[in-house]
Amino acid sequence: MRYAPAILIGRVVRRVARWRKPGGGSAIPGLIVNRIAPGFLASTLNSFPEGLVIVTGSSGKSTTTKMLVAVLRANGKKVFTNPSTANISQGLTSALLEQADLTGRIPGDLAVLEMDEGHGALVAATLRPRVVALTNVMVDQIDRFHDSQMVAAMLGRIASRATQAVVINADDEYLSRLAGTLAPAIQVERYGVTAEVLAENPRGLGYAQTSSRRLVSGEGIVVTQVNGRHAELELPEGRATVELPARGTHYAVDAATALATARAVLGDAFDLQSAVKAVSAIPPVFGRGEIATVQGKRVEFVLVQNPASFQLNVDSLEPDTEQVLVAVGSDVRDPSYFWPVDTSGIGRVLIASGSKAHDIALQLAYDDVTVERIEPDLGLALDDFLALPDPARGLKTIIFSADSMRRTRAHLGLATNSEELA
Amino acid sequence: MTRPLTVVSLLPELLDTNGDASNARVLAQRARWAGHGASVVPVTAGEALPAAVDAVVLGSGVDADFEAARGALLPLAETLREWVSAGVPVLAVGTGWELLSWGVELADGHVIEGLGVIPGRAVRSPARLTGDLVVSSRFGRLIGFENHARYYVGAEGSPLGRTVSGTGNGSGIEGVIVGSVIGTHMHGPVLARNPALGDHILTVALGRDGRSYARGGRSAEVDEIAKAARNQIAVRLGLATE
Ligand SMILES: [Zn+2]
Repeated sequence: MRYAPAILIGRVVRRVARWRKPGGGSAIPGLIVNRIAPGFLASTLNSFPEGLVIVTGSSGKSTTTKMLVAVLRANGKKVFTNPSTANISQGLTSALLEQADLTGRIPGDLAVLEMDEGHGALVAATLRPRVVALTNVMVDQIDRFHDSQMVAAMLGRIASRATQAVVINADDEYLSRLAGTLAPAIQVERYGVTAEVLAENPRGLGYAQTSSRRLVSGEGIVVTQVNGRHAELELPEGRATVELPARGTHYAVDAATALATARAVLGDAFDLQSAVKAVSAIPPVFGRGEIATVQGKRVEFVLVQNPASFQLNVDSLEPDTEQVLVAVGSDVRDPSYFWPVDTSGIGRVLIASGSKAHDIALQLAYDDVTVERIEPDLGLALDDFLALPDPARGLKTIIFSADSMRRTRAHLGLATNSEELA
Repeated sequence: MTRPLTVVSLLPELLDTNGDASNARVLAQRARWAGHGASVVPVTAGEALPAAVDAVVLGSGVDADFEAARGALLPLAETLREWVSAGVPVLAVGTGWELLSWGVELADGHVIEGLGVIPGRAVRSPARLTGDLVVSSRFGRLIGFENHARYYVGAEGSPLGRTVSGTGNGSGIEGVIVGSVIGTHMHGPVLARNPALGDHILTVALGRDGRSYARGGRSAEVDEIAKAARNQIAVRLGLATE
């Protein structure tokens, strides 16, 4: 009952915070509990009978975590997991408070947590995860001023806490090197893509450094083919066809990460068929290639979070897509960031929008993309774009940055992502 | 038929963290839009330089790649010096500019010798300098984005311009112009955002061959987009619009 007073206080604060601002204030109770009972977070996370699993890396964490949780639940496990927006310490503590009993324990067999590398490295010293899954080292907008070595060092600190296994992306040179530094007793599970799959992504997969060598079957889980939303994977248990939540090699890699991690967690209880079924049932994600019907029109939403995902999405755009809207908002503080991306594959953009409309239009113009109209007012741009008759070729496609995605969702009254629901 | 304009993009694999290498693409596009043939030749570490060159672009990289970038540039230093003496225009942004200087002081205090192509040196600043950078110059008002943790000393006599907003070199001035070499902290597509600077480089590059440059019609359209982007920043900073 050591944490009972802190938990009770946290719950009262949570109720007050909700009463003051419905739906809001979710980090405040966590902040207070962390202050009055600093051991609560680690003690609760370390208390699951079948242990703690951490998913971390520069990108792909949310999808991987979701897939992994689905596989474990399909296997009959009771899993505690964090909503992806709550991966800062206070938010995580708040999420734990929702479910903890007064002894500070949460009912469940195991916990699967998505952590960003910075936060993970800070709390790692207090955690004893059974399995740590590492996705990749990319240079993203917020972290581009920190070098990749620093990100790799943070991931190394988290990985060094694993008691059983570390799951590694074998195509990522930083992670491959990291695997060599682990204690000999720690099992290393690898996943990766074949040379053919890599070759289909002429600009690579966005890793800060790609390994020169590909995995061969038997060394781990290998993505052997990606075809739209279908991927072929080769596992020690056999071959499998997985349905992805959106088009793109990176989703196939997320599926491989989730399956490799599930194998490490479940051991002999891992069942390929049920695992593949669970991964394939992950619903498409809003803003990541999801196709939704809005005001009677079918629209594909594509979220670009960094230059690598922008490039991958441009490259995987259906050729001759007739109606494209590109919106970049204030989250992209310095639009220089996107200029390494070759946008010429888009061909023609009907409207460039968002608070950085002129900047993205300028880049598109230099890439010989025709920009019909620049309309910084996103609401107006969306209304006019949706009002156009259905295109003869391809779907109405909206490519946006995270900030423009939120504004689009609010403007169109679209439901929030299931992944953002607590 | 004249030879197409050749723009060398040096070490884009190491020096393109902020999209600075795109300035090579911008020069080539503007040349094409003006009716000249043009191509970008990326030269990665260990590769040979092309025989003919009309302009050179060097971008900015992360400090972890500093030694690698310097090592890759060293064998090219002699040729670079020859080009500079021959008046080939060079645009060097951030780290790329610092590498051409006498020396660079890194975050740990360790000093790395530069290639010594241009005078001056980069020294540590007490804090990282990130934000909009506005410079009044002989090419008009230039607007860009800076993100660095070093000042530049020794360019006081030959700056690119005076800072109106932002830090630049750290002494009220920004950048350097020595002969045909332009160094700046304005990273990313500085030449697309400030086409007057790009057109100056093209005028020099084509002029060396006795060719003249006149802005193309497509450039004029695209420059209106750049002007709108600059004005947006000017409004945010409380400066007069163009
Ligand atoms: Zn960071």
